[in-house]
Amino acid sequence: MTGAPLLEIRGLSIAAAHGTITIGTDLEVRRGESVAIVGESGSGKSLTAKAIARLLPPGVSAKGSVRYGGLDVLALPEREMRSLRGRRISMLLQDPFTMMNPLMKCGKHIEEMLRGDPRFAGRAAMRAEVVRRLAEVGIADPDVADRLPFQLSGGMCQRVAIAASLARDPELLIADEPSTALDVTTQAEIMKLLKRVQQARGMSLILITHDLRLAFSTCDRIHVLYAGSLLEVGDAPSVQRDPFHPYSLGLLLSEPPADRRVPKLIAIRGQVPRADAVSGRCAFADRCDWVKDACRAAKPPLTELALGRFTACIRRTEIAAEMRTLRDTALEASAAPELETAPAIIRVGNAVKTFAGQRGRAVRALKGVSIEVRPGESVGLVGESGSGKTTLGRILVGLETATEGSITINDVDASQFSALSPADRSKVRRTIQMVFQDPYSTLNPRHSVRRALREAIGTGGSAALQTADRRIAELLKEVGLPESYADRRPHSLSGGERQRVAIARALSVNPKVLVCDEPVSALDVSVQAQILNLFKRLQGELGLSYLFITHDLAVVRQIADRIYVLYLGEIVEEGPTEEVMRNPKHPYTRRLLDSAPR
Amino acid sequence: MTAVVEPTRPEKRGLRRTGLNLSLLLCIAVMAVVILCAIFRSSISPDSPFTQRLDIGDKPPSAEFVAGTDLLGRDVLSRVIHGARTALVGPIVVAAGAFTIATLLGLLAGYLGGWVDTVIMRWVDFMLALPGVLVAIVVVGVVGGGYWTAVLVLVVQFTAPDTRIVRSAVLEQRPLPYIDAARALGISKRRILFIHILPNILPLVLAYVALDFAFALVNLAGLSFLGLGVEPGTPDWGRMLFENRNILFSNPVGLLLPASMIILTAVSMNLIGDWLFERLTK
Repeated sequence: MTGAPLLEIRGLSIAAAHGTITIGTDLEVRRGESVAIVGESGSGKSLTAKAIARLLPPGVSAKGSVRYGGLDVLALPEREMRSLRGRRISMLLQDPFTMMNPLMKCGKHIEEMLRGDPRFAGRAAMRAEVVRRLAEVGIADPDVADRLPFQLSGGMCQRVAIAASLARDPELLIADEPSTALDVTTQAEIMKLLKRVQQARGMSLILITHDLRLAFSTCDRIHVLYAGSLLEVGDAPSVQRDPFHPYSLGLLLSEPPADRRVPKLIAIRGQVPRADAVSGRCAFADRCDWVKDACRAAKPPLTELALGRFTACIRRTEIAAEMRTLRDTALEASAAPELETAPAIIRVGNAVKTFAGQRGRAVRALKGVSIEVRPGESVGLVGESGSGKTTLGRILVGLETATEGSITINDVDASQFSALSPADRSKVRRTIQMVFQDPYSTLNPRHSVRRALREAIGTGGSAALQTADRRIAELLKEVGLPESYADRRPHSLSGGERQRVAIARALSVNPKVLVCDEPVSALDVSVQAQILNLFKRLQGELGLSYLFITHDLAVVRQIADRIYVLYLGEIVEEGPTEEVMRNPKHPYTRRLLDSAPR
Repeated sequence: MTAVVEPTRPEKRGLRRTGLNLSLLLCIAVMAVVILCAIFRSSISPDSPFTQRLDIGDKPPSAEFVAGTDLLGRDVLSRVIHGARTALVGPIVVAAGAFTIATLLGLLAGYLGGWVDTVIMRWVDFMLALPGVLVAIVVVGVVGGGYWTAVLVLVVQFTAPDTRIVRSAVLEQRPLPYIDAARALGISKRRILFIHILPNILPLVLAYVALDFAFALVNLAGLSFLGLGVEPGTPDWGRMLFENRNILFSNPVGLLLPASMIILTAVSMNLIGDWLFERLTK
């Protein structure tokens, strides 16, 4: 790991027509080194990666110097650039399904990269090489080469994609969120695979991720990017032990810990600004608890405080002790919550749901699931995609009907939602409401916040509408939004704000239970902590019960009193959260727990 | 959570920001002229479109008759100005009628699904299998009634493809969480259809209304040319093509003026529809 760096970026600034994306990024990657660029959405991390391979979308331009093995990448003619890509720099993208051509067999994707190499000129030689490449990424079955991408699972697809991007033996692999679109257990496998291949080949790796913990466990050096500026650079173990920049600390603390339950997550207030809005000062100033006037006076440079440790915080030495204390208090575990004992408000007995699948084959999404939710209790429903957890939630709010089984909601038999009398149906709807995953489509884009809330309030009859304006103000306050937001349209709100409005909408009928279907998984880490804290606060204030549907054990550990683990439509384990987490009985629960990066 | 930064076009100022450009302004001007002619035709036109002067028939443009005269000595310009009315009214009725029916059927088919969807869509398939203009010719020829029968036939014909477009737009909105949230709140189907889904698909539908207008104009002109549209003698662009086809060499304007009006109006309406679509979906 000595000598000239393989990749040297100096003062890389990326700009699009609508504004600056990154300002003066410096980055070095040595041979065989793995480097992480960590940042939230809007930080410019993906475009930095694309700029290295000169794959910026039209309208986006890069300035500065990118030197790769002595070549000036930004000045290279496109022809030479093409020979650089794939051969020396390779890229791996987030979604394996959209990254691969759906009409091309998996083996073909690898062949495509090997073509032109005289060593594999013959058919048999090519085939043998493809099989060998698949074996390298852990696919022992050579038949996979003849399958189409959609016939494989997400994890298998990503393996094939890795094999394809490694086919020309690049010196540098840029992996842009390679595991984000995958299930928890698969995520861990893919990251392990990447790490193994990187070390075995002595290849350099740039990992682009929003997940600080993933970066720590995979990479040698960490770059924290925020609103287009690098805020902290350092080697992974020491950044993990003692982050120098308040933002890195905030990012680390707002990620819910998987190994303990904390009383309250330390959320970073506000949201990521646009790079242009914070030019000429510390990008993080507006969200920082330690901000001083000096932070806003000029853009703090990245300075070396200890060997190999850079930070852009000018107050680091003054606030080091305070930051350490904050970290220690934040990670104090709270006691396990007391369990509620009141009779259940929601009771599901042996629910079965069958969907009509392809060619008349029935798909059983739920195979006899029984759960209970008591008043004031927060229940977690944990499972990976395809476990049937979302289906169960949708059945409870009447969006689907169970094929078999009994469902009792607030003493009303809601097994057949369509057969309910209007009074009962209204009672059920007043008892249980839902918060959805995708903040971008959960609100009607053409309705203002006021209109959305007013409509929801109006379902309580015209009497409720009389006081609607007061109620709207009340609801917005409850979810922590200023009253002026009532007249905004969804497109002018951030993801976290939209999710708050969606929660307000669900609360507008004073429900007793909220079904939350992955309500924070599409949000940035810092915003995720805000929303989780909001859920906790609302539970205390309104005495709500939650059915928290998620794949994320760390999240469920912070919020749920009791959990059910759902696997392929069956509940494999249930019990108080802390007990299950500390002492998982079922092998599947154990695997889930082991997969969480820590 | 990756930053998906879409390349956006540079900020435009003033006129450019609304997406209005020269060709679009021209289109709006053309439509304005046609609409003015249709409303104030008697006061705008220099002469009556019906007065026959057999002695000066078939004359090229002159100081007295700017666009010349046709075989019967009628003023071509006045006839083109008066023809704006049939060129607008029919297509407007076709577009509005097809839009209304198609929106209703499409919303129902897309949202309710099941047998409602099956019945509506099989009817659409059936309609699309028929050769459009041929059916119009047969119906107008057998039933009679000229222009308005033709308009009615076109309404029915245009409803079919429009229904399909509305339905697919509804299917795109249907699985979105905001619809689920409305359903979970117990909001009525009617409200979901008309208050939630309709405003979100309206841009697309309006763009197709403009297309419908253009197609209807061309189709109606075609039927009039074949003698199946307006009554003989009525000033109508399609009819004029038929009447003046024999004087192409003695007074080319008599043929070219109504022909270019048809093309200009149809193209203008198309481009305005495109612009509307982009403007409303942004």
